[in-house]
Amino acid sequence: MTAGAEGRGEQATTLTYASVSGRTRRRLVFDRLIPWLLPLAFVAVLFPLFDMIFWVAQKAVPTFTLATLTETQVGFGGGLYSMILGTLILIAIGTAIATGIGIAAGFYTAEYAPPAVASFGRLAGNILAGVPAIVLGYFGYYLLVLYTNWGFTTLAGGIVLGIFMVPYVYRTTDVALTGVPPTQREAALAMGARPRQYLLRIAFPIALPTILTGIFFAMALGLGEAAPIVYTAGWSSTPITGLMQPTSFLTGAIWLFYDLPPSEGTLLTLAFQAAFLLILIVLALNVIVQLLSDRYRRRLQGLFE
Amino acid sequence: MSAESVPNPNGVALRVRHLSVRARDRAILTDISIDIPDKEVTAVIGPSGCGKTTFIRSLNRMTETTHGLTVQGSVLYRGQEEIYSPSVAPVLVRQRIGMVFQRPTVFPISVYENVAFGLRLEHQPEDRIEQEVEYSLVRAGVWEEVKKDLDRPALSLSGGQQQRICIARALAVRPRILLMDEPTASLDPVSTQRVEATLEELSREISIVMVTHSIAQAARASTRTAYFYQGRLIEEGPTEELFERPKQELTEEYVTGRFG
Ligand SMILES: Nc1ncnc2c1ncn2[C@@H]1O[C@H](COP(=O)(O)OP(=O)(O)OP(=O)(O)O)[C@@H](O)[C@H]1O
Ligand SMILES: [Mg+2]
Repeated sequence: MTAGAEGRGEQATTLTYASVSGRTRRRLVFDRLIPWLLPLAFVAVLFPLFDMIFWVAQKAVPTFTLATLTETQVGFGGGLYSMILGTLILIAIGTAIATGIGIAAGFYTAEYAPPAVASFGRLAGNILAGVPAIVLGYFGYYLLVLYTNWGFTTLAGGIVLGIFMVPYVYRTTDVALTGVPPTQREAALAMGARPRQYLLRIAFPIALPTILTGIFFAMALGLGEAAPIVYTAGWSSTPITGLMQPTSFLTGAIWLFYDLPPSEGTLLTLAFQAAFLLILIVLALNVIVQLLSDRYRRRLQGLFE
Repeated sequence: MSAESVPNPNGVALRVRHLSVRARDRAILTDISIDIPDKEVTAVIGPSGCGKTTFIRSLNRMTETTHGLTVQGSVLYRGQEEIYSPSVAPVLVRQRIGMVFQRPTVFPISVYENVAFGLRLEHQPEDRIEQEVEYSLVRAGVWEEVKKDLDRPALSLSGGQQQRICIARALAVRPRILLMDEPTASLDPVSTQRVEATLEELSREISIVMVTHSIAQAARASTRTAYFYQGRLIEEGPTEELFERPKQELTEEYVTGRFG
């Protein structure tokens, strides 16, 4: 154990940074820097986010009143009522479609599909998620606006939004179900459960927190989209009274009003208020999904060990 | 229940004949023939990878829940009914022939709902479920420990308690046969002892097939033992005989601890 015995003579230390050199030393020093570098990256991500929220809030909050929510935009005045209504209806249709199709497809690939079909389904889901929203918009325009002779309708907008949202719900459902410990499936089947009973009684409750996260994530993305809807739901400033009419919506307000010349000041303000409102809604969605999935997840403690 | 009242004329719980299991190109089990007697504990022993798990999984058609296994030969339930016949519902087979796994596999629901699981699949009325849950927990030797915690998540119990909940869950549908794959492998000595005591109780009413890695456990807890080696049944008989006067050299080497 003595250094002397190995012929190192007076060299007292073998444990300090100074005792090693070259590459080893650079690696050790770099390791020590990591805890400082990572927070920098963290700040680099968060700073623009907070800066943007602050910028939007600054322009929106001073003029934001209850009337902003309850009044319809007329000319250069009024509020966001018709757009809020339109957005809520569009996202409701989109979520219903995406949840129904996405969860059913996830069930199918995770439990029923032969392996080859399942991996094809997953590939198709990824491709759909990668299709630019504007392409979906054109697709919806040709199919649901022109081909059907509907013209611009809220229903078409909701359907295209649903198609846009489907892959996110589908993928999280599939991942969550295939992530259920296989021993749970074994145990259920060994009790005489049929695959459907296993899925509904055991797998679905286990996967639910993740599926919920997927649905809310898809909603947040859908809320922020304008491209698929402008080409299908058109635009109408008056509050909608039926699904077969065009509608206005919050992202549309941002898109249309932000580009107007500076003289049209009130509409620019409306664009910022719409953006501010969207940010609030997305934040609220995040909080809700966090609370919900925490509540469900608590039951699962110890399952994934 | 009806299954219970049907008399078993020949004392055989399972009659296995020329059972072979293949995974695509290779044989996992080759030509197994054995009678599993009623109301006894049969231990299945043998070195790792010899096919013990595959063997008991082929006794209640769990083999078909994993891709790529083919089963040949016959397994006669109570010595009469072919479980691999095309007219047989695997779901019913698994209700009559229950299974408990190596690690506890409680569902992430309450203790009560875990034990009630199989009864709910059969849409039993709630008052009957309540009775059966208590009776099964008693039979599994865990009632005293959990009777105040029936609404607690089963996952919050200790490993040994969870395993006995799993046994209770399997018992609740009143199986005639219980297949157990190293049921005490993940348990401490005290829990192991409880489970073994439970098995002894149970074997008065039903037939138990237990895979075990512990020769001592086979000697303690079983009345019959089957020794498997490389996918074949080498020897089978009353536990005492097999341990004291093994007929095959391979068996002797294994039970005297010279290998395996
Ligand atoms: N689904 C499968 N596909 C291919 N091979 C399999 C499959 N299941 C089991 N095997 C193989 O069959 C052999 C027997 O496996 P089995 O799990 O039955 O052994 P075991 O006796 O239970 O082993 P252990 O004591 O380690 O649990 C092993 O070599 C295993 O790799
Ligand atoms: Mg095994």
